[in-house]
Amino acid sequence: MSRLRYLVIHASLVIALILMILPLPDWAQIYRPNWMALVLIYWSMALPSRVGLWFAFFSGIVLDTSLGTILGQHTLALVVVVFFNLNFYQRIRVLALAQQSIYVFALLLINQVVVAWVEGIMGRSTPLMAYFGAPLVGMIIWPWVFVILRDIRRKALLR
Amino acid sequence: MKILFQARGAGLQALFLVFLSIAIMVVDHRYNHLEIVRSNISLVISPLRYLVSLPATAGNWLGDWFTSHTELLEENEALKDESRILSARLQKLEILAEENARLRNLLGSSRKIADDVIVAELLSVDQNPYRQLIEINKGSSDGIEIGNAVIDDFGVMGQIIHVNPQSATTILISDPEHAIPVQFIRSGTRSVAFGRGSTRQLELRYLPTTADIMVDDELVTSGLGGRFPPNYPVARVVSISEDRIHGFVSAIAEPKARLDSSREVLVIKPKK
Repeated sequence: MSRLRYLVIHASLVIALILMILPLPDWAQIYRPNWMALVLIYWSMALPSRVGLWFAFFSGIVLDTSLGTILGQHTLALVVVVFFNLNFYQRIRVLALAQQSIYVFALLLINQVVVAWVEGIMGRSTPLMAYFGAPLVGMIIWPWVFVILRDIRRKALLR
Repeated sequence: MKILFQARGAGLQALFLVFLSIAIMVVDHRYNHLEIVRSNISLVISPLRYLVSLPATAGNWLGDWFTSHTELLEENEALKDESRILSARLQKLEILAEENARLRNLLGSSRKIADDVIVAELLSVDQNPYRQLIEINKGSSDGIEIGNAVIDDFGVMGQIIHVNPQSATTILISDPEHAIPVQFIRSGTRSVAFGRGSTRQLELRYLPTTADIMVDDELVTSGLGGRFPPNYPVARVVSISEDRIHGFVSAIAEPKARLDSSREVLVIKPKK
């Protein structure tokens, strides 16, 4: 029974994946927040002993497959982001939501830079707005993501 | 305690996973070994893809449901007219095809065989915004293979790059990594059209200044390279620019296929 409760983590990641491939109009695509990264940041902050680097790794592989990107691109970005988060979460967890948002913006930006860097190595350029647009939107919605996932975690009695 | 020790191990683990990701990228970029991994994961997440494209499908379906009787009658009438015109043209075409075959036989060359076609529908799923990829609802169980050409009713759209049992990924001719061998109908000049990441533009680079090209020239597939069958319409030249320093001409062409709005596509299977 207690093992089953942890399925909410997987379920939230599946929903994040759906949000990543949901069709959006062309102009809005570069503003799509990285839902996968947001959800992983939350869980690795709340349950660092459960959701760690391997979680990030496998989520990344699945994300790469569904986005049709080169395998390993988002994987690398998510591993880096979760690694930073695992080092800082104790200091960040106690901050107010607005302050957390700024930290999340930094993490999402790192994620974006890694993704764009891999694109660059393969000879494709990334528009400048794509660097900042998605992390900004991610920063704005972070408080809601945080509150929703926290309520889910409490309902599922995960600690 | 557990968390304390974990924090020390995390650095090594992270390093390992970073190198693993980079190794995977290199392998995926250069070789085909990871195609199995990709298709297996795709199979697992394919229900999600269908789920995501459901609202669009339902919208279409509802739209069809509420089309009024008179509209349907009008459409039916228009379609009948079109069908009549097309079959009239087809008769002519059949005669021409027969004549063509006969002449080819006279010349002793092999007869051109019509290609096999599979009708597929798009799944409305967004993928990497920097690429031009689309997902279709037919896969290896329908006989689709990597490299098959994809067209719509106006022209060439792209080719298949990944195949899963129930779906397949198509790279559009407008993808920055895609190039398609083409031929000008009017002058017969051969060239290669590169994608530029926009669904409205293809680029023809490094044409000699003496090349006989004009705005409004039509481009068809040349059949070189073996991927695309010859003589399918590809694009129309919209502008030509001359690079006097390097002595080249490059041209921008607009794809014939409706890359951003077609819902039904045809996958061409070459006859063995």
